[in-house]
This record gives sequence, C-alpha cells and structure tokens, in this order.
Amino acid sequence: MDLTFQLFMYVLAAMVGLSLGEQTFIKGGIDQDLRTDGRKRLTYRPIFVETGIIPQASGSARVKLGATDVIASVKAELGRPNPSYPDKGKVSIHVDCSPTAEPSFEGRGGEELSTELCSALERCLLGGKSGAGAGIDLSSLCIVRGKVCWDLYIDGLVVSSDGNVLDALGAAVKAALSNTAIPKVQVSANAPSDEQPEVDVSDEEFLQFDTSGVPVIVGRHYIADATTEEESQMSSAVSVSINRQGRICGLTKRGGAGLHPTVILDMISAAKHVSEQLMNKLDSEIAAAEACDEMES
Amino acid sequence: MGLKCLAQHYLKSTGPSFILTKKNKPLRRRTASLSKMEFVNPEGLRLDGRRPMEMRQLRAEIGVVSKADGSAVFEMGNTKVIAAVYGPREVQNRSQQSNDEALVRCEYSMANFSTGDRMRKPKGDRRSTEISMVIRQTMEACILTHLMPRSQIDIFVQVLQADGGTRSACINAATLALADAGIPMTDIVTSCSAGFLNGTPLLDLNYVEDSAGGPDVTVGILPKLDKVTLLQMDSKLQMETFETVMQLATEGCKAVASYIREVLLENTKQLESRRGV
Repeated sequence: MDLTFQLFMYVLAAMVGLSLGEQTFIKGGIDQDLRTDGRKRLTYRPIFVETGIIPQASGSARVKLGATDVIASVKAELGRPNPSYPDKGKVSIHVDCSPTAEPSFEGRGGEELSTELCSALERCLLGGKSGAGAGIDLSSLCIVRGKVCWDLYIDGLVVSSDGNVLDALGAAVKAALSNTAIPKVQVSANAPSDEQPEVDVSDEEFLQFDTSGVPVIVGRHYIADATTEEESQMSSAVSVSINRQGRICGLTKRGGAGLHPTVILDMISAAKHVSEQLMNKLDSEIAAAEACDEMES
Repeated sequence: MGLKCLAQHYLKSTGPSFILTKKNKPLRRRTASLSKMEFVNPEGLRLDGRRPMEMRQLRAEIGVVSKADGSAVFEMGNTKVIAAVYGPREVQNRSQQSNDEALVRCEYSMANFSTGDRMRKPKGDRRSTEISMVIRQTMEACILTHLMPRSQIDIFVQVLQADGGTRSACINAATLALADAGIPMTDIVTSCSAGFLNGTPLLDLNYVEDSAGGPDVTVGILPKLDKVTLLQMDSKLQMETFETVMQLATEGCKAVASYIREVLLENTKQLESRRGV
C-alpha cells in the first residue's frame, strides 16, 4: 500500500522547522533502516532511570529517554473510598508540561498536550470504570472497607521534550510505583484509624507497563521512539500499552491520516516485539537505580 | 524521611532539652512570645543542625535541558529549581515588540509534588504571578537589553522541590541559565534570604523557619557592582535589627556569587576542552 505523505503538525512539532532537504534525509534514512541518529527503525534510545529523587513523595522517579526528560511522583494519602466500590482504593493521574520543555507551554499553552498525555496514561493504567483490569491492583489499597482507603496521586512533569513523551512518562510512572513505599496502617478498634508510619516497601502493585508509540511514516515503515523531527514528519501514530503477559492494556491512535486495519494489526505486533526488549531493559534499569539509591541512603 | 517527619523529629528532640536547661528557663519565658518552638537551641544550632550564619549546601548544574538555549538546576539545601532560557528570539506578540530593547518574559511554576501537601494548581495563582514578576524585574535590571532590540528573551523557572527560599533559588538558577545561553549581562544576580528568630539573625531560612511567622528578608544583589536589585521583607523588624539582617543576607548573596562564578568557570573549562582549545 502506498500512503500519501502528509505533514502532520503537533503542538510539540510546531516549533520544528525542517527544510526540504532535511525531510528527504529523514524519510530516506528510515526507508533504509538507518535513522538520523544511527538507530534502526525499532530501536529505542538509551534510557536512564533515577529513583527516589523527591524525598517528600511516597515514590518518585526521573526518566531520560535521549533528550526527553520526565519526572513522576506518587503521593499516598488517606481518603474515603468511592461508595460504589467500597473495597477499592483510588488512583488519580495528572500530567503537567513545564514551559522549560517548550516555550509554547507557557501559561495555558501546555494544557492540550497535558490532557492528552493524562488521558492516555489513565486509559492504560486505570482500566474501566469499575476499576476492573486496571494496571494497579486497587483492592490492595483498601484499609477499612467503606471507610478508609489509600488515595494515590500520580503526578507527571515533562521537563524536557524531544519526542516520545508518552513512553517516557509511562516508564517514569512504572519506576515511581516500584519505588513507592506506603506506610503500614494499623487500625485500632476505638478510633476510626490510627496510623503507624512504618515504611513498608510495597512492590505488589502495577503489573502492567505502557509502551511504544509506533509512528507510521511514508511507505510501509514504522519506527518506534521518534524524536521531535521525526514526529513532525509522521502522519499518524499508534500508542500501544502492553503488559508483562503480552496482553494489550490500552490503545490510542493519534494523528489525522487514516490507516488500513491490517496496518494497525501489523503495528501492534511490531509493538509487542519491541515492548519485550524495552520491558527487560527498563526492569534492569529500575533495579539498578534502586540499588544505587539504597547504597546512597 | 519526609519533610514533615523530619520537622517533627527535630521538634521532639529540641523540646525536652529546652525544658531541662534550668539556667535559661526564665529568659526564654520572657522572650517566647513569637513562637512556642525553639529555632535556635541553647548550643546555637538550628533545627537542621546549622549555625545561625551558615547557609545550606549549594549545588548547581548547567545545561540540563538540551533543547533550551540555556538551562540550569540550582539547589539550596532541599530546594531544587530548574531554569530554562529561550532567546533571544523573535517576538511572538507583535504588539509588545520594542524597537530599542529586548522583551524579557518570565514564568514561575511549581510542580505538583514540590511541597509537602500536594498542590492543586501549579501556575496562575497569585503567588506564582507575583514571583514571576519579581524575577522578571530582577533579571531585566542586569540584562543588556538594548543590544538585542525587537527580540524576546523567555525565562522559565520550574520548582521541583520547595523547602524555603524558592525565590532566591529561582533567581540564582535564572542567572546561571542566562549565562549558559550567552545573553550579555552587566553582572550576575544572586539572591539569598535571612530572618530573625529567637533573637538571632538566621541566614537562608528553610520552610519550617520561614513559616514560623518571623520576618523574612530576601535580598538580590549585583555582587561586582555592589548594588541591590531586589529587596522584600514580610512581618516586622526594628530598624537596627533590619540592617543587621539585611547585611547578613547580602553576605549570603556574595557567598552564592562566588559559588556561581566557580561553576561558570568550571563549565567554560569543559567547553574549552571539548572544543580542543
């Protein structure tokens, strides 16, 4: 199939002005499986993970994917559970795009992108309305059924953006959750709840992982982990969230150009393939970061 | 340990010692009108173990946001701030364009997780707008705007961790970021805060000391020219005490200035070696 090339401008890519020569170079390189920074089509940039950077949060992480830099923090607070789901805790995700990443994010400029990233993350991590199929096991957040539960507030901050912010955020959220330490709560019989701030490292949450934005470019080629220049050239992208068991947890198609259904299925299988490597890489990075963190403290 | 835990830990540790020192007991009772807490214990140590004239540990890094023209991270103790400078570039809003000088814009925002209690609205609230204006005016004083007419310089400051003295940390980070961007300035601007608690002038207040209700003087100076560009104070002070506290803050600024110069020198040496000079 021949996809007619469309220049699709994102809020992000609006700042990138590429000459015709540069565009041809990028497209030509991708056709030959050699991108501008020397990567293959489905190779990710090197990932650096740092955990425990925000001491006053329950868990935090900073992920650098090339020049894309994001920080995620998890704060656990006590709250009342939703009356319709009395034995489940609550998780809320919020993303903020700092103007340091892009001057156009000043004031309310970054709101559009933040909302998009926020809803994409929610779709992958929070599951359906009833909380079923969520990435985080919500019933483990319940303390007293119907009365007290943990509220997790996950905050993401985009400090620097050079393409593929969604993947970096997903990785940061995963690392932050694995770094989260929720205190043990002991409920005394008379008072509504008594808290004992014993720090207990809880790793049992989150099984799933957000991965690969797989953009489509001219021809029949897909690339993973696009930089800003590459993103400005793409006509559409598909973000697939895949968990450890190889199941799809969330799917978002971004961009205006129409895609043939077989193309989408093809991209999903490519994403699955890429995500395995990425997940292993990320797990080892997170483990290394935590070990480093423990050595320092 | 979280910040709140740390404060509570110190509260518990200074409480009993205050009661036990019988010598000082009557004196303390007379002067303990402002705060029930000991900010400077009888040995002369503050809540975090510093001496009254001691500043928190400074740490700076240049060039963290590769996309920006200039960027820097500045840490004063637990306060961590990242600043990015974009410019000089074309003015976005034609109506604000000036024919003889550059337009300097600034935005200050705090991350959701920067304070102990999660913030609901990271930007747009009154405090952020005020601090944005303060930083803009301070930096405008030192940038040679007449050299870059019809252009715009954007300074974006993002607070990652707030533990008192955010205003000062922001100004110091902005100075470094402007230097990294190569924007011509008359002098670097450094800033530091000082306060007065328990009858002692204290340098570089952290969040607990700041929220004690005592006076908080923030000073911004141009160290080489020895001029004050920023001076803010809240609460009340006697005139002589004010002069002492302001002098202390100015000394703090000079200490920050020497640190910033070291960092910039180190950065230049690295650039030189990369270029093979």
